[in-house]
Amino acid sequence: MEATFMAALAGLTSIGAYYVGARALGLPSASLGAAVGKMLESVGMVLIFLAVNLTASVLIVLVARGLTGTFLSAYAADDAVWLGLSLIQGLAFQAWRGSAADPSEPSRG
Amino acid sequence: MDRTGRGDRVCRAIGLAGVVLFLISAFSPLAYRLTQWMGGSPRPVASDAIVVLGGWISPSGTLGLESQRRLHRGIELYQRGLAPVLVLLGPGAEGAPTEAEVRAAQARLHGIPADAILTETRARTTRDEAMRVKALLQSRGARTVLLVSNAGHLARAQPLFEHAGFEVRGVPSDPPVESDAPESRIVQTRVLVKELLGWLYYRMAGYI
Repeated sequence: MEATFMAALAGLTSIGAYYVGARALGLPSASLGAAVGKMLESVGMVLIFLAVNLTASVLIVLVARGLTGTFLSAYAADDAVWLGLSLIQGLAFQAWRGSAADPSEPSRG
Repeated sequence: MDRTGRGDRVCRAIGLAGVVLFLISAFSPLAYRLTQWMGGSPRPVASDAIVVLGGWISPSGTLGLESQRRLHRGIELYQRGLAPVLVLLGPGAEGAPTEAEVRAAQARLHGIPADAILTETRARTTRDEAMRVKALLQSRGARTVLLVSNAGHLARAQPLFEHAGFEVRGVPSDPPVESDAPESRIVQTRVLVKELLGWLYYRMAGYI
């Protein structure tokens, strides 16, 4: 019931956003596919950062265990905050890539 | 093709896989079904000991939810008369109460006799738990154990205890009721992914 409610509500707000974009803001419907593609690229970049962060944290724990001989918990890798941090990193990196590829963006180098 | 275009395609493919996995995890019973499948159809039989693997305890001495689930499953098995000994595991932070001691206190409150409870407070990994339980139970001649943990963890823990010389019957501690809440399903998926990675690590390290 809860899942159905959430899926239905997200569907409705998505349709609402489409109408706002197409009617009120005059966005071309044809570019929606490309926008979804860009969204997937950003999600992909966030997941890459997440994988790198988690792998690095586990490796550091294992190396530290081997070097010091003391127990360090690998549960630092099992923290939802990694997702938030990776989100910030991934979106910033994608925006950086996007601005470098777009010649209309001013460069302050 | 330039490297940016190829990188975009790779990111897009990873992103698509992530979004599909997220939607399936949140809006389908996949994680629950997988957990059920991994736990098998447990029919606990009379054994020499019930071994309740460690979960998590806060520095202030509060048992984590999974730790409590495992403990209650172990108590239930003992109360059904399936084994004469209840082995409770779990360390604690320095100077803080250990998980095994807190569990033992709760088990006594549930009527389990103190002399039927064994605790092991030093093991910090599943592999360590198998070794220390072997040392603890060997002198008692225990050969068969009912091993209590969540289904995903049992996939890794059961071979370890078998390797330690026990005849093992895994008893999942997972709740038997399927949740319809997307957040619960995501949490269950996360547990499964974590245990899958742990299982892969143990395989690669040659522990199982």
